[in-house]
Amino acid sequence: MEGVTALVIDDEPQIRRVVRNALEAEGARVIEAETGREGIDRAAAELPALIVLDLGLPDMEGIRVCTEIRKWSAAPIIVLSARHAEREKVALLDAGADDYVTKPFSPPELRARARAQLRRARLAGGQADAVVEVDGLRIDLAGRTLQRDGTDIHLTPTEWDLLRTFVRHAGRTLTHRQIFREVWRDPAGDAQAYLRVHVANLRRKIERDPVRPQLIITEPGVGYRFRAIG
Amino acid sequence: MATDSAPSADGARRRGALARAAPAGLLWVAAVAAVTAGLVALRGALDKAHIALVYLLVVLAASARRGRRVGVALAILCFFCFEIFLLPPYHGLALQAPADWLVLAAFLSTSVVAAQLLDRARREAAAAQRRAQEIEHLSRLGAETLNAGRAEDAVEAAARVIRSTLGLGWCGIHQRDPGTGAFRLVGAAARPDFDPASEAWTDAILAYVVEHRAAAVRRLDGALHVVGVGEEAAGAVALAQPDARSMLLPLGVRGSVVGVLALADDRPILLDAAQQRFVDALGYYAALAVERVRLAAEAEHAEALRHAERLKDALLAAVSHDLRTPLTTIKALAHEIREGGDERAAIIEVEADRLNRLVADLLDLSRLQAGALPLNPELHAADDLLGAALDRLAGTPRVGDVRVELDAAEPLIGRFDFVHSLRALVNLIENALKYSPAGSPVEVVARREGDDVVFSVLDRGAGIPASAVDRIFEPFFRGPDVAPDTAGAGLGLAIARRLAEAQGGTIRYAPRPGGGSIFSLHLPAADAASVCAPSS
Repeated sequence: MEGVTALVIDDEPQIRRVVRNALEAEGARVIEAETGREGIDRAAAELPALIVLDLGLPDMEGIRVCTEIRKWSAAPIIVLSARHAEREKVALLDAGADDYVTKPFSPPELRARARAQLRRARLAGGQADAVVEVDGLRIDLAGRTLQRDGTDIHLTPTEWDLLRTFVRHAGRTLTHRQIFREVWRDPAGDAQAYLRVHVANLRRKIERDPVRPQLIITEPGVGYRFRAIG
Repeated sequence: MATDSAPSADGARRRGALARAAPAGLLWVAAVAAVTAGLVALRGALDKAHIALVYLLVVLAASARRGRRVGVALAILCFFCFEIFLLPPYHGLALQAPADWLVLAAFLSTSVVAAQLLDRARREAAAAQRRAQEIEHLSRLGAETLNAGRAEDAVEAAARVIRSTLGLGWCGIHQRDPGTGAFRLVGAAARPDFDPASEAWTDAILAYVVEHRAAAVRRLDGALHVVGVGEEAAGAVALAQPDARSMLLPLGVRGSVVGVLALADDRPILLDAAQQRFVDALGYYAALAVERVRLAAEAEHAEALRHAERLKDALLAAVSHDLRTPLTTIKALAHEIREGGDERAAIIEVEADRLNRLVADLLDLSRLQAGALPLNPELHAADDLLGAALDRLAGTPRVGDVRVELDAAEPLIGRFDFVHSLRALVNLIENALKYSPAGSPVEVVARREGDDVVFSVLDRGAGIPASAVDRIFEPFFRGPDVAPDTAGAGLGLAIARRLAEAQGGTIRYAPRPGGGSIFSLHLPAADAASVCAPSS
């Protein structure tokens, strides 16, 4: 995180301090904003590479801050939220946030998420590889072939679309709705209800142990996150 | 007021009316005398028909103003005046021309018939006027009850209009509280000179009237009678009772009795047929008003409940938010101190997590008990729930002791709320780890059982003593053999079971053959075959 500018938007000075200490320990330069308005202004002025946004801001809804910044910035946004706020997290992710950390969190937790997001953002800039290797799995997106340790794995067309979506957004938490939109495109029909069943089937084919998944991680009540590649 | 049109008047009133009628009668006799004097002065120039016509006019005028009796009496008087003073030979009861008797007879009969006809027309006009008044009263009551801003005002208006329309001393409307069964006087009106304190009825009588659709009357001598039990027209039965000084009539709306109408006066209540019909109609308005009071109270109660619920939610959210900020700070500082080399700070981190769990448990329990937990049931695979539970337990020391068995070839599908089910399953596994010896495996098995997807957690701990089995799902219950320093407040199982029940499932306990416990989380299953068909 050396030399990276990170913006923390939070009205609680203690939380700002916690985030500052956690990220500065990794070599990041941390700037702060107390309100949503100030956060948007500083994001526009300083163009940070990472934004940490608390949901409980006094002056505006977190989702508005998120939408506003997303209009002109692709910098990863990590949301700080309370438990019991799954619906809120989903709304934030749908509005363009990249990940969330639940309070109370520990500094290593936040650092891990921040590192993953920065890495993902760096890779997203370049050309996506046609062939991806992760956890012993060789995924050829162009040739539509999949192998684990040299053995071919057969996927249904839906499972292929699912896997391609996950790989394209590897490291990022996708909401059920985001996945559904990208895989099925057609908003009609019951397919959305079966999304989780297709994910279970896909896991049984690509994970070494489907109940201890290493590739497709469940974010309870929110969606799924594919393991970061690279 | 005519003396013959007041059937309900008592003797005293009748005498008063006669006394008022007498001077009026004398006035008409004087009028006849004056007319006769005038006619006598002109009698040479007048034809008999003209004279009869003049007398007839006087009789008709008297009938119209004073009624049938005065009319007939004057007709007879005119008959004699005509005969004595205006027909030759102008004295005594003898006539020169016998044909004049015919004239007199025709005059008399015409006068009497005309008086009768006029009287009937007058009565019909009076009845029509009363009817018009009734309609006016009813529409006034309807308007007042509908326009009254508050439901209580509508009942007050009903009592007022009923009392003044019937001319009674007092009218009260009692309502029965649907919750407590107690009666409340929701509307009342009294004549200024009437003492309503004398009109107290006990709740027992009011309850009897409501429950048995009966009426009650209190006689002049104070005796109490219940009448018309179960009859549709119990009110009419009560109104027909002689000597009733006060009475209770049931107020019904759509077949059910919603309240009681109380009427009272300082003399017997005697209502004519029209007034009784009127009481029926008024009673319906009063019943509607009482019903409106009840509905308004219900709505207020529901609004108060919603308000309390909103307050509670806001409080929970505030507590939850306000605790998380200091906990985050404590955890972060402890972590920094630990990185600085002081291993004791690790204990602060662990304890902060424990405090967070406890607060979360208490908040959840409170929400569950209030039925305020939002649910989001969707189709999920058992694999996913098991995987998420293991992931959630990843940081705990004994997670390596957990063995997961998933024997189905196809994913098991259920319809449940993922977050709540995850919490319940994690609680069960944590519980099993806590109460079984280190190194002994905790097995987690998922399978289909009838209409349920069942997640069983099996341990080789001490099991639950038979005496405690019934209480293990109670909040804050700790087993009798549990060491006092064991972590947890005894909320895990209570929350887990409530979370399962909130989404149509449950948690069951069974002793494990060979020692230990089996806790099973039951969740509603869904049909996997139909689920996978559309797109694979």
